[in-house]
Amino acid sequence: MSELNGVIHQPVRLRIMASLVALDKDEQVDFTYLRRLLKLTDGNLGAHLARLEAAGYIKIEKTFVARKPRTYVRATGKGHDALHGHIAALEQILRGSGK
Amino acid sequence: MSISNENAAESLAAVEDTISRTRKAIASTYESPFLIVWGVVWVSGFLGTHFFLQWVNWIWGFLCTVGAAATAVICWRQFRVWAPTKTAGERRMGLRTSLFWPLFFLYAFVWLSIMEPHSGIQMNAFLCTAVMFAYVVIGLWFDSWIMVFLGLGVTASTLAGLYLIPPAYYCLWMALAGGGPLLVTGLYIGLRWK
Repeated sequence: MSELNGVIHQPVRLRIMASLVALDKDEQVDFTYLRRLLKLTDGNLGAHLARLEAAGYIKIEKTFVARKPRTYVRATGKGHDALHGHIAALEQILRGSGK
Repeated sequence: MSISNENAAESLAAVEDTISRTRKAIASTYESPFLIVWGVVWVSGFLGTHFFLQWVNWIWGFLCTVGAAATAVICWRQFRVWAPTKTAGERRMGLRTSLFWPLFFLYAFVWLSIMEPHSGIQMNAFLCTAVMFAYVVIGLWFDSWIMVFLGLGVTASTLAGLYLIPPAYYCLWMALAGGGPLLVTGLYIGLRWK
C-alpha cells in the first residue's frame, strides 16, 4: 500500500519531480531551462530544489560549459521511487472513491 | 496525510501534463531546428530543380553544403554551448550520431552505384526514401515518435510522387509533400511544444 509523500505533494515540487522523471534515468536538465519550462522564478525554483535535494530526491551539479557556469539537476533513484510511490497513492485514492 | 479525491485527481493531471510538456519541450529544442533547416533545403532544392533544371547539380550542391554547415553549427550549439539536458553517455551518443550520417550516405551511394537507377527521378526518390529511413531509425533510437511518423509519411509521399504524379510535376510535388512536412513539423514543434 503506497502512501502520499508530503515533500512531493506540494504542487511546485510535484511538477519539478514530474519534469525530472520525464527524462531518461541518467539525464540532467539545465536549471534555466527547467525554470522557463515550469514558469517559475529563480528564487522559487531554487528553494524547492533545495528541499528536494535535502530529501535525497534530486542531485544538483554545478559545472562549466564553454567557460560559463551552469547548474544541472537530475532525479535520483530514490526520487524516482518516491514520485512513483506518490502517484500510486494518488491512484489508490481515486480507485477507492470509485472514480 | 490525507487529501480529497479532487485534489488527488488534480495532482495526477498535473503530473501527466508536466511529463508530456517536458518531453515535448525537449523534443522541440533538439529536433525543430534540424527539421526547419532541412525543410528549407528540400523546398528550395525541389522548387529550384523544377524551374531551373539545367542548374540542378549546382542547386543541390550549394543547398546541401549550406544545410550540412547549418547542421554542424546547431549540433555544436546544442551539445557544447547551450545544452538544455545532458547525459552520462552523451559524448558516446554524439560520436555515434556524427558517424551515422557520413556512413549512411556512403552506403546510400554504394547502393545507388549497384542498382543504377534509370532516371533522375528514380535516383532522387531513392535518396529521399533512404534519408526518411534514417529519420525512422533515429526516431526509434531516440524514442521520438514524431520522427518515425514524419519519416514514414514523407516516404509515402515520395512513393506517391514516383508512381502517381506525372514526371514533369515530380519536383513540385516533392517541394510540397516532401520538404513541406519537414518545414511545417519543424515550425510547429518549435512554436507549439516550447
